This record gives sequence, C-alpha cells and structure tokens, in this order.
Amino acid sequence: MSMDEKKIRLRLEHISQSYVVKNEVRCAVDDVTLDVYDNEFLVVLGPGHCGKSVLLNIIAGIEKPVAGQMFLDGGRLLKSDERIGMVFQKLALMPWKTVMANVEFGPEVRGVAKGERRAAAQKYIDLVGLTGFEKAYPNELSGGMKQRVGIARAYTNNPEILLMDEPFGQLDAQTRYAMQEEIMKIWEMEKRTLVFVTNNIEEAVYLGDRIVLLTRCPGRVKQVYPIGLPRPRDTVDPQFLRIRKEISQNTDLAL
Amino acid sequence: MKETPVLSSAEKKELRLKRIYLLLPLLSLALLFLLWILAATGTNKDSFPSPLAVWERFLLIMKRPVKDYTIFGHVLQSLRRIFSTLVVAWITGISFGVLTGWNRKADALLSPLFTAFRSVPPLAWIPLITIWFGTGEGSQMLIVYTGCIASIVVNTQAGLKNVAKMYLDVGTVFNASSRQMLFQIAIPSALDAVFAGVRTSTSAAWMVVLAAEMLGGKSGVGFLIVRGMDSLDLPLVLMSMIFIGVVGAMLAVLTQIVEGVLCPWTRKKSA
Amino acid sequence: MKETKYKVEVDSLTKYFGSLHVLDNISFQVRNGEFICVVGPTGCGKTTFLNLLTRIYQPTRGDLYIDGQSANPKKHNIAFVFQEPSSIPWMTVEKNLRFGMEIKKLPKAEIDGRVERIIKLLGLQDFRDSYPHQLSVSSEQRIIIGRAFAMNPDLLLMDEPYGQMDVKLRFYLEDEVIRLWQELGSTVVFITHNIEEAVYLAQRILIMSNKPTTIKEEVSVDLPRPRDVADPRFIEIRKHVTDQIKWW
Repeated sequence: MSMDEKKIRLRLEHISQSYVVKNEVRCAVDDVTLDVYDNEFLVVLGPGHCGKSVLLNIIAGIEKPVAGQMFLDGGRLLKSDERIGMVFQKLALMPWKTVMANVEFGPEVRGVAKGERRAAAQKYIDLVGLTGFEKAYPNELSGGMKQRVGIARAYTNNPEILLMDEPFGQLDAQTRYAMQEEIMKIWEMEKRTLVFVTNNIEEAVYLGDRIVLLTRCPGRVKQVYPIGLPRPRDTVDPQFLRIRKEISQNTDLAL
Repeated sequence: MKETPVLSSAEKKELRLKRIYLLLPLLSLALLFLLWILAATGTNKDSFPSPLAVWERFLLIMKRPVKDYTIFGHVLQSLRRIFSTLVVAWITGISFGVLTGWNRKADALLSPLFTAFRSVPPLAWIPLITIWFGTGEGSQMLIVYTGCIASIVVNTQAGLKNVAKMYLDVGTVFNASSRQMLFQIAIPSALDAVFAGVRTSTSAAWMVVLAAEMLGGKSGVGFLIVRGMDSLDLPLVLMSMIFIGVVGAMLAVLTQIVEGVLCPWTRKKSA
Repeated sequence: MKETKYKVEVDSLTKYFGSLHVLDNISFQVRNGEFICVVGPTGCGKTTFLNLLTRIYQPTRGDLYIDGQSANPKKHNIAFVFQEPSSIPWMTVEKNLRFGMEIKKLPKAEIDGRVERIIKLLGLQDFRDSYPHQLSVSSEQRIIIGRAFAMNPDLLLMDEPYGQMDVKLRFYLEDEVIRLWQELGSTVVFITHNIEEAVYLAQRILIMSNKPTTIKEEVSVDLPRPRDVADPRFIEIRKHVTDQIKWW
C-alpha cells in the first residue's frame, strides 16, 4: 500500500505562527502543510529553536496559530482535543502528585470513576516498567523514570494521536538509547499515530517511519524523508549512517 | 564482602574540618552566656540580673504563679491567642490571595485596597483599635490579625500568579476545566509559596502578640514583661525574653515540620 | 616527588562513603599533550571520580599526581569545563577569555597574544564585544572551552561539554576542540556518555565499570584525523566499546 492510499488522521494546512518581540514580528513557524497518516511514527526534526515545539503546541491546542487550519479525521481542529495526548519536554510532571496520581490525571479530569481510571493507569505504569513506584513522588525518580511517567500519563488518557516534544532531550546518551528502544517497544504493542519532535538526527532515523526536516528559524518544511529501514534499527549499520549523514548535511547548523 | 575501610589521613582531616561547623555555633552560644555572666558581675546587680538570678526567678514563678499562671501558662496564653487569630488570618488571607492571584478582575478591583492597608505598619493601628474596642481579648486578637495578614496574602498571591506555564499546559492538553485548573494545578503548585506565607505570618504574629499584650493584657508573656518592668523585677523580664526567643525558634521549626507532613513532595529524597 | 615520564598520573584512586564502595583502585596515566576520553555506563561513579580530581572529596586511598607531585590547586593549573556553560554574565566575550589569565597575573602582552589566537581559532572576531546572553548556549560553551585552553592548563578536564547538542552541531564542536587541542597541545581528559563522541575524539579511551568503579579496559584509537564515523574500523571500535558498557 503506498503512502497516498494510507488514511490521513491529521492534516495541517498552511500553518504559520509568529510573535511580537520588542516591537518586531518574529516568525516561528512558516506555512507548514503536512499530513500525518494513521498509526504512523512521524518525526519532526529540526535544529535548536526552529519552531518545532511551537508546531506541536499548536496541534495540542496550547497555542493558536496566526494562520492556517488543522483537521483531525476530516473535522476542523480548533482547540485542545481529548483525542490528542502529549508528552512534554521539560518532564512536566506535577511534583505534588504521586506517580499514580500523575498518570491518572487525564481520566480524572474527564471524571472517570476511580476504579476504572486506576486500572487504566496501572496498565500503562506496568507497560513502561514502573511497577512498584506508584506511590513515589517525581523528585524521587531518575530522569529516565520521570519520562516513563510522562509517557504512561499520555497513554492512560487513551488518545488516538500522541505528540511527543523532545521527550528525551534532558537524558544522557545511553539512557536516551534505552528510552528510544522502550518507546519503540511500547508503540509496537500499542499502536498510535505518533508525532515525535527532536533535534537529534540519530534519534529521528532510529524511530521514524517518516522524517519531516524543518529549516532553522522560522520553521519551514525543508524535506520529507521516508525511512524504509527494517526495525529494530541498528545505529551503526552502514545504511543507517548513510541516511544520518544525508540528513545531517541537509540540516541547518544552529551554532 | 563488606569491608569497612580505614579512613585515609586526608579523609580524617576532611571530617575534622566538617566537625568545626557543628562546633562553631555552640561556641558562639557559649560566648553569649559568658558575656552575660561578665555583664551581670561587672554592673549593678539590680540592673542586670545574672543567669542564676533568672533561674531562681523561674523556680519562683513555678511555685508562685503571677496572675494565676506559671511561665508555661503565660506562654500557652500567648500561643492560644496567636493561633486562634492565625486560623482566621490563614482562612481569610489564603482565600483573598487565591482570589486576587488567580482572577485578574478581582485583582484589579481588590488589590489596591489591600496595598493601601498594607502600607500602614500594623503597630500604627493600635491606637485606633484600643480607642474603638478597648484593650480586651478581642482587640488583642485584632492587633495580631493586622500584623500577620499581609505576609500570608502577599505570598499566596505571588504563588498563584507564578504558576509555571508548563503545568497549565498539561491542564490544557487534558482539557481541564477552569475549576480543575485552579484546584488541581494552580493551588497545589502554589503551596510552597503559601507555606512561606504561613511561616512568616506565624513569626509576625508571635512578635505582634507581645505588643498587644503589653497594652493592658491580663495574661501572656507580653503582659509578664510589662509586669516585670512595672515592679522593677528584671529577672522576670529577662526570663520572659528568653522564653519568647525559644518559643519563637520552636514555632519556626514546627511550621517547617508541618509543611513536610502536608507537602511530602517538598521533602528531599534521601540518598 | 617521584620520577615520572607522565604529565598526569592517577594512582589507585579509591573511595568509600562509609561502607559504600564507590571507586575501586582507579589507575591510569596521561602523557603530556594527550587527549583521553573516559566513558562509562550511566550511574557509574563518574561524579565521585570528578569530585576527587577537583578535591571536593578526599580519596580513601590513592592520589592524583601532576608532574610527579600530588596535585595541588595552588601550584597546578587544572581547568574544568562542565555541561552547563559557566561564563561570567557581566563580562564581554573577550573579557571572559582574559579572566582566568588575569587572575593568574600573566603579563598583559602574553594575555593579548593568547586571546587573539583563541578568538581567531573560534572564529569569534565579530562577537568579542558581545555579552554571553547575546550568544546561543553552544557559542557560550565554545567560549568556556576557549577560556580553558587559553589558560595552558596542566590538565584540562571536560565533563560532557556537548551534552545534548544535535549531531550536526556536535561534529562541528568536536572538530573545533580537536583544532584547539592540536594547536595548543594541552593535556585533555574528556568525560562523556556518548561512545561515538569518544571514538571520534580520543587517542585513548578508558572504559569505566559499574560501581565500585574501576578502569575496565583501555582502548587506543589509531585512526587518522579527521575521522570518518562510517569507516568500518571506526564502527568496529565503537561497537567494541558499546559492548563493554551496554546496559540498555
């Protein structure tokens, strides 16, 4: 089945975002048009501060774009939507809530009964490998574990589309590899449409079905790379390194 | 194999150096005590009582209470006064702080009033309060209230105005209602600021209650000091002062412990 | 004082905290002008190791020697670069570069010469009068690294200076640090979690074990520079080092 025949879940049409900073208009995202297919792992890759996080915030309904339209399953998307979940960059776990309370936050907000939401939360706590840490507070966990909580929290709300905003940006290189393998495992068990933002080219090539490369500020779509490598991918495989190099050479240097 | 190694000489030196930091504060306390003894022997005995005289005064008040209360009784009277006021101040102050910190219209409408009130030092209210309401229990509590309300309001307000955007974003993504935003996210994340307010209001109340009791109170440590002054009973004055200091320090520790119990996430992770 | 042909010698460094054994008999030598990378699994005693080298903790056994003498911050010049850039915010780029040398009271002509050289090597001519906050984090880090090299340190210790920068940027900065090192000939110990980075930079890689941490293996990297990360020999070394520490 070719890409064109795949079902489109999320469509962005001419999305632009800009801010007024010190009486100057600064463009962050410029005319981004993008289709996200059903159950696809889409990576949005760009150098530092290229507006990729802004794009994700717009999809999540945290910001409103100055221009453009978004469609979810064909219907207009105007504000935050239950069908869209998000894993935040800065480990936005609420320090005053235990792991369990953080993970069950989504269903709790929707008013799901305690027993039901506990069961859902427990399922994903187990899935990300945090069994036994339900009563711990976030500040008792390591960086990798905190990010697992973030992933479990997003999954527990059972979204159809999952946005991940540089979730592993704060981790060391090795923990990062571990989390990449982990997220791949979880995604293969619980398929969702995933939009994953990163500045790490290796991570992008390791994870993505497709990579959307953005230009440096303002973020424009520079190129889209379909990645056909079989999974699990090997980061030192010559093919892998070739693709990584190709994308790296096309990436703007954000010195 | 659990081998406990012998410390190297460098490590021993390191430990010795660290011990100094435990020792130095004790040293400074000892120095204070020494100065006290010197001052008491060097000057007129009646104008500067010695530690022994203060100790004897303490034993006396335990045997022969002043106005029905021993020293502990007077401390408890003062504590009762501040805590019954503080409960009212906390409830009203936190509500006011949350309202003005969260709701911009309420902030614009009410905060100028509060700022006007707050720019008058609490002690300046004393004459008006005594003229209007006398020097009874109610006026004393009102004086304490004017002294401690500002810090609780200011801290609560600041806490709610500075909720990290990151947490509000989480609420937005999960479609939280504004009620949920306030009670599930904003207030909990402002709790450490609120507690800073609780701590400062407690110590402010402890200071102001003494002033209130000095003006015609019938019990409490402030009353005790005035009684000592009126009868030139300086050991009583000095003993009361020491109790005031110790209780003040204990209150500070106590509020910290209570914060640790109520907000367990602020406790440091034990290594 | 002992006779040695090495610039830096770490001799059976051991640390216990109470009965907790963190470092176990770490020994290695660094020749003058050598570039060494230290890699280890996440959570190995890296921080303790660094804190011993910087004398924040005292060792239970063993010591660090520079030119055969027990390292002494007053006598020896050990420079550090950490993951978080630590420039002085109220000083311009040039003043930041001069700062360390002025503290050491070097003659002005010497400072001028070194600063010019570093600014040129970093290509920061246009930014010499800028303040750190006007630059990106990566450029701020470049200044810190330049400042450290300018000091002509006996030992330059770098702890993950390129933490989470993207590949493109990292390659650029790694080439730059090699250029500085080749030009100025400092003795460098570079600590990283990133194995590709270690193979790209080092003449020799020291692999640390889990706690109690010791040096598990030394790998010398004999590849010509600039190195090619897709070279089969490069990949072979990278794989070997990865196998030694892989926990994920």
